[in-house]
Amino acid sequence: MKIALINGSPKAEGSASGILLEDLKRHFSGETEVLEMDMRKNSVPEDLIKELEDAGVWVFAAPLYVDSIPSHLLSCLVQLERVPWQRSCERLIYGMVNCGFYEGVQAELALAVLRNWCAKAGFSWGGGIGVGGGGSLAAMPETKPGKGPKAPIHKALDALAGQILEGETQENVYVTIAFPRVLYKLAAQLGWRQMVKANGGKAQDLGKQLE
Amino acid sequence: MKLIITDKEEFKIPIAGEHKVIKPAGDIHQCVGCFGCWVKTPGKCVIHDGYESTGVDMSKCKELILVSQCCYGSVSPFVKAVQDRAISYIHPDFTIRGGEMHHKRRYQNQILFSAHFYGENITELEKEVACALINANADNYEGVVKGVYFHQEKELEGISL
Repeated sequence: MKIALINGSPKAEGSASGILLEDLKRHFSGETEVLEMDMRKNSVPEDLIKELEDAGVWVFAAPLYVDSIPSHLLSCLVQLERVPWQRSCERLIYGMVNCGFYEGVQAELALAVLRNWCAKAGFSWGGGIGVGGGGSLAAMPETKPGKGPKAPIHKALDALAGQILEGETQENVYVTIAFPRVLYKLAAQLGWRQMVKANGGKAQDLGKQLE
Repeated sequence: MKLIITDKEEFKIPIAGEHKVIKPAGDIHQCVGCFGCWVKTPGKCVIHDGYESTGVDMSKCKELILVSQCCYGSVSPFVKAVQDRAISYIHPDFTIRGGEMHHKRRYQNQILFSAHFYGENITELEKEVACALINANADNYEGVVKGVYFHQEKELEGISL
């Protein structure tokens, strides 16, 4: 079995999508060949398309941008839909979308776009995970699987990995970090103030209105 | 002012009243998720390619109208790139609305939001997702949906905005 793990974040490193894919990858070993790739630009290079041809399972991970997937990944999907794949009917696609909002269910429409793309491209949709609180994943210390604020995410990833290895599909699952929403909201606000100050601004600049 | 965001390079749809059209005119850079529009130059994208001020344009509009090819229930990559690059319209801080987390307002205008999707084979599932996406966008802009419409591409010639 060959699984392509596709990071659809525009960030070269430190993305929540990358963290989710790393956590998922830990479930694959032995006879499972894992192909890791990034889709950070508006198009997919030819060599990556060739590599994708042999992978029967693709797992997309992406951040939520304006209620859906980022524009560059959408552009890649349009390109991939037009590729004359030899094994399209055998390909199973899964998705993981993380959002800065607390509620993982806010990723529902992004996953629906991936599902609709599968229908147009002639692939099978395997289901996915919507992850809330994605803004905190990169800042979280490494914890044992099933422990700490990432525990609900680990549980959803465990289940998804099982489905992938069995070649099964699942209904979308929506999870969030095990951390109170009010504290997540406060932590985010503190973070924006630290970032604007680090860039030479003041906290009130965050709300600046331009003419 | 009506703000129209479209992927049609040759945009010939008649528009009543004051308006601005954002359409493909040179390559658009994708959003890179840097949050510079919130923490470096609040209110404006840091990528200077001619598409950095859509957030400001949105603050001046009464109506926001998308005219876009329907891609899997989403707008097209160009229109999505413009939207992704315009998150400076809203404030980075979170608030809770309708039981869900959203961003606070930066500006006080309430946008009347509509979308005209075009395409030859738009499925019912794609229409369903497109309608839900426009409603979700309106929730995040704290605006109001005027309507979501679907057309064959050639039918666009018959509409007016």
